[in-house]
Amino acid sequence: MKRYLTHPWLTIRVQLALGAIFVIAAIPKIADPPSFAHMIYNYRLVPASLINLSALVMPWVELLAGLALILGVWKKAARNLIGILLAIFIIAISINLFRDNAIDCGCFNVADRGKTHEQRIFDMKVDVVRDLGMLLMVGQLWWAGKREEPPS
Amino acid sequence: MKQNTIFQAVAIVAAGIILALVANAFASRDRKVSLVGTYPNALKVPAREVPAAPPVAPPVTQTVAMTTQPSTITVQPTATTATQPTATAAIETVGINPKAKTPAAPAPTTTTAPTPHAPPATPAREFNAHPDKPYIEIAYNDVKALHDKNVLFLDARRTSVYEQGHIPGARTYSVWESDIDDKVNKLFAERNDQAAQNLPIVIYCSGGDCEDSHMLAQKLWGIQFNNVYVYKDGFPDWQQHGAPVHTGANP
Repeated sequence: MKRYLTHPWLTIRVQLALGAIFVIAAIPKIADPPSFAHMIYNYRLVPASLINLSALVMPWVELLAGLALILGVWKKAARNLIGILLAIFIIAISINLFRDNAIDCGCFNVADRGKTHEQRIFDMKVDVVRDLGMLLMVGQLWWAGKREEPPS
Repeated sequence: MKQNTIFQAVAIVAAGIILALVANAFASRDRKVSLVGTYPNALKVPAREVPAAPPVAPPVTQTVAMTTQPSTITVQPTATTATQPTATAAIETVGINPKAKTPAAPAPTTTTAPTPHAPPATPAREFNAHPDKPYIEIAYNDVKALHDKNVLFLDARRTSVYEQGHIPGARTYSVWESDIDDKVNKLFAERNDQAAQNLPIVIYCSGGDCEDSHMLAQKLWGIQFNNVYVYKDGFPDWQQHGAPVHTGANP
């Protein structure tokens, strides 16, 4: 089992998929920073002075980390950054779920879709599960990387 | 080995910061953000709106308008008790940086004419200055009355949305775009005496839980605009009432 889960065949696919997901997620945010700033504002977790800066920088870090995974350059650093980002996303959405603040995730789309409170809460739960799934992918990369470390 | 990974991660973040700043510097006006934004309620979780209220409200106001005079329109003062520090900060921004930049669009020509003359036939409610509150939320009937009086309207939605259709005469004032402070400064320069600042201004966005207009109202209140109204149900409600809509980049 362990052998299959850390097999290079799986690892390379996880790496490409995770990289692609982050590149795809970054593009709409890079294209429209004001909308993404609005999304970040809606989370009510980021101090006012940092909202615009994080809206500008975060998508570029996502894009570069995603590209690094796809290209196989600086894989570990990119994987770690993506893991940190995912952890932040999961915590941020969970805090808002906990305090019943229904928001749009802003993960892959930054347009306001005019959803109802209930739709948003449901989608936020789905987003947390999806992000946990991606965190598992990061875990796989980490595990496989650890196994291949001693010989190299 | 491990140190190398940390260095690479830092390098990726640094490259991200540089690319972000360069991209923002070259971004078009409506895609650009100011590096440090001013959002008074950034950490304040909004109270949940009663979901049944918006669909029920319009029919009620309509029946009231049918059976009684428009003078019975109720204006609900908002629960917002904004603090003056925000205001002072905004005044400072304006004071330090009074850019007398005139925009390319012929914005000032259309809607600056205020209300020195008496209101029209219907005894509508009076829209007096309210320095104690940043804004008062109003519904369609009041909005229409003010629009008929050529009061200044500001559209707080994104410019791209504004161009697809807006209330005739409204100027685009998106709070998320980088030039908002310039626009606010310009308005301040236009209306720089007490009397002009007490003229009504109506701000709207897309209704529902949209709070861009409230944010803009706070900004204006901060620089002594004491008679600001927020069209609570916003542009969708305006369209629902079949009121005129103007498309394009000009007011």
